[in-house]
Amino acid sequence: MPTPAQERNRDVKPELDPAVADETWIVIPVFNEATAIRDVIGSITPWFKNVVAVDDGSSDRTWEVLRDCAPHPLRHFVNRGQGAALQTGTDFALAHGARRIAHFDADGQHRVEDLKTLVAGVAAGECDIALGDRFAGDVSEIPKTRWLLLRAAVIFHRMMSGVRLNDVHNGLRVFSRDAAASIEITADRMAHASEIIDLIGRSGGRVREYPVTIRYSEYSREKGQRWTGSFRILFHYLVGRIAG
Amino acid sequence: MTAFQIIIIAILGIVAIFAVVGAFRRSIGRPAAVTILIVSIAGILAAVDPDRTTRVARTLGINRGTDLIVYLVTLVVFQGFVVFYLRLRKVRRELTLLVRHVAILEASSRTDRDRDPDDAPEAKARDS
Repeated sequence: MPTPAQERNRDVKPELDPAVADETWIVIPVFNEATAIRDVIGSITPWFKNVVAVDDGSSDRTWEVLRDCAPHPLRHFVNRGQGAALQTGTDFALAHGARRIAHFDADGQHRVEDLKTLVAGVAAGECDIALGDRFAGDVSEIPKTRWLLLRAAVIFHRMMSGVRLNDVHNGLRVFSRDAAASIEITADRMAHASEIIDLIGRSGGRVREYPVTIRYSEYSREKGQRWTGSFRILFHYLVGRIAG
Repeated sequence: MTAFQIIIIAILGIVAIFAVVGAFRRSIGRPAAVTILIVSIAGILAAVDPDRTTRVARTLGINRGTDLIVYLVTLVVFQGFVVFYLRLRKVRRELTLLVRHVAILEASSRTDRDRDPDDAPEAKARDS
């Protein structure tokens, strides 16, 4: 019995080469997403068979749901943060021969159409690292405080790491195998998004941003970071840069 | 000598002895032991002759000995905070590596079981 998300995705044209999709592994860090994760995975699996869902020590029924619906469920026995979960999933995918690795959020804010566009870009050799750019897409749904913070983050990263991107905190990313292998996330918690940008800058890989649309549902807003959390992220990021 | 001075000197004396013994037994690193010993001796000297801290403070351009002690304590506490935070960071990092390693091991063993149920540890235990 298809899930509602699978029903919706039947309307989407499968423009991605199935061979390319089969060689691409989707890594989803999951924390307390028992209510949303089945639909999210269900929306991906019609196109991508290799989905690695990493339960990051959830306290709700997430693990039971993942065991039931995720092609490759992994579990952190204690919560170590999104960065750690992404690195676990990436290591697992690389060990199983992934040619490309994608990061996808668990709260349903990313669209599979955008994922396919990024994967096709890397597969076609347009770049080694494809990143989602929400500011090149439909920006009408972005909450004002989030918009301001994200723009400030762009300026901050241009000053700190010299990486010129339009959207530095977009969780939708696709890496070629070599690019994924050259990046090791050490920031466990949310500072990983900033660390990834630094690592991308140092990796020397060709980077390209693609327009994407982020769905700011009531649920994803609730799950998302509070603006005050940005100070904590900034602190962890700066300590990470100084202390290594 | 007041009762307070006696208590302070006794406590700092015990701390200094622990530092020396700890260094000999190698339960405390030598730099830490030397630091503890210097701080303890400085504390004992200040407790024996409180005016000494004022004299030292004035040579450094600070009016009161109490201010000098407050500045020094602030520096020591801050340094302690930084050292503690960096150690905690290192332990967290090691915990993350362990958790990630276990997650991949468990997933790989599940994949192996799915591929060949007869190879599963439960099946082997059942067959033996």
